Amino acid sequence: MPSLRELQQHFGTALFDNAPDTLLPWICSDGLDVESRLRIYRNNLHGSFRKALALEFPVIQRLVGDDYFHQLALDFQANHPSRSGNLLQIGRRFPQFLSGLMEGTPYGYLSDVAALEWAYQEYMEAPRATPIDASILLQFSRDTYPELSFTLHPGCQLVRSAYPVLRIWQVNQSEAAVTEIIDLASGPDHILVRRGTDGVELHRLPHGDFALLLALANGATLWDAYDAAFDADDRFDGGDALRRAFALGVLIEPRISRQATS
Amino acid sequence: MSAGTTLARHLTAPTGERPSTARKPQHAGIGLRAQHHLELLEKRPQVEWLEVHCEDYFGRGRPQRRVLEKIRPHYSLSLHSVGLSLGSTDPLRPEHLRELAQLVRDLDPIFVSEHLSWSSIDGRFANDLLPLPYTEEALHHMATRVCEVQELLKRQILIENVSSYLRFTCSEVSEWEFLAALVRQSGCGILLDVNNLYVSASNHGFDACTYLEGVPASAVQEFHLAGHVARRIGQHEILIDSHSAHVSEAVWELFGVAVRRFGARPTLIEWDTDIPALEVLIAEAAKADRAGEALHAVAA
Repeated sequence: MPSLRELQQHFGTALFDNAPDTLLPWICSDGLDVESRLRIYRNNLHGSFRKALALEFPVIQRLVGDDYFHQLALDFQANHPSRSGNLLQIGRRFPQFLSGLMEGTPYGYLSDVAALEWAYQEYMEAPRATPIDASILLQFSRDTYPELSFTLHPGCQLVRSAYPVLRIWQVNQSEAAVTEIIDLASGPDHILVRRGTDGVELHRLPHGDFALLLALANGATLWDAYDAAFDADDRFDGGDALRRAFALGVLIEPRISRQATS
Repeated sequence: MSAGTTLARHLTAPTGERPSTARKPQHAGIGLRAQHHLELLEKRPQVEWLEVHCEDYFGRGRPQRRVLEKIRPHYSLSLHSVGLSLGSTDPLRPEHLRELAQLVRDLDPIFVSEHLSWSSIDGRFANDLLPLPYTEEALHHMATRVCEVQELLKRQILIENVSSYLRFTCSEVSEWEFLAALVRQSGCGILLDVNNLYVSASNHGFDACTYLEGVPASAVQEFHLAGHVARRIGQHEILIDSHSAHVSEAVWELFGVAVRRFGARPTLIEWDTDIPALEVLIAEAAKADRAGEALHAVAA
């Protein structure tokens, strides 16, 4: 007789890996073949995972249709099974999974849409990004401004795509049939996902603003971030961009990050 | 303290019920799902208590949790865990236990319950209620884990019988004997799911009334009622616990047998697939109350 652990491992192999041979001797047939019995558990396994994934990625489900989404969920689950006693956040790796799957196909935009949906899900639960007063900068003398660095508010995230993903996301929010034709070449999109007072907001940012915030988020000084922003957009206006960022509460914790000199 | 000594203590200690501070409901309640959060808050319909799946509300400060905290002052609440994987031989997850303990502290529930099942092995989760073999080893394991959770929460938990679609050849005792022994060894209570009992009895060909006779009446503290569906596979009919329909007539009948055997107990209507309007759930709960009252009248 197998130990409890061995029996559960046999069951796991039968369930997750479709390899029931080691389990079969330990199941009563009771007039119904064991494979049919196991199929009920497999249906539960896949069904609950698929439903949870669909709740996190409703736009992807709508774009690819129920049948293909079903297949995607199966493949994703085979590669990334649930590792937790709840199904919240099972889709964390789904955008990356789609990116690998769709590479080199005309459906490359799907992973970017998924990344936007994931950010939206995740930021429903983030702390609210509240605007900070730009006068906080008065604590610093003007000649130190180039050496200022910031932290991106934990309620904000930057999503970039070569495709017009914000429009794709927007037109797939309602239940109504979509008649709008979106030109996939009408990107790129630079989006700020922000947890505001009334839920998650998606803002399309000017390219320069996005480059500035991305550089700052990665730890750059304001000087270097301005450089990055000018590289992205030669009409970039640093003062305006910074005011917009403060108004949205994107940047917090200004500090001098002078290189240590020894 | 090792798991072994924990179990030994419970094996020798009297296994009387540990009192819970919350008042036991007099009427049937409903399982609360996210679809009905806002309606419940706005209309505050007459229903005495609600039961929620703990894992849906993990994470203080998450929107779901905040909504539940708003609902809590208006309704008694019971916490039904579906993800502890109590019967698994993988270690219990400290993070999961911490979240559960926090939820229990925050919400002061009438009951805390889990299942006579397991759901994970080697770190992979089925997020389902998988059946246990009814062996001495599984009993010892399950009792140890129930004790661990009860000690952490500092309260008794109820263990629910699950619907199952297969049996193990290595089981040494019946499910009801196993459950009765678990009560003796761990001091847990029983959440008797009448629909699950009906489904499993039908699928495995045992007598549901023998099951009811076999579990200790004093341990049964809550009833669950739900709908199931029948599937035909070849010549064989198998019942699936779908939580997608009204309680079937046969399950109402078995509920009557259970009430006659155990007396009235807080009863809950569960519905998780094709979830209907709130009124439908509340009407189903009222039907459970009427069934209970009718039996009471017959007995008197």
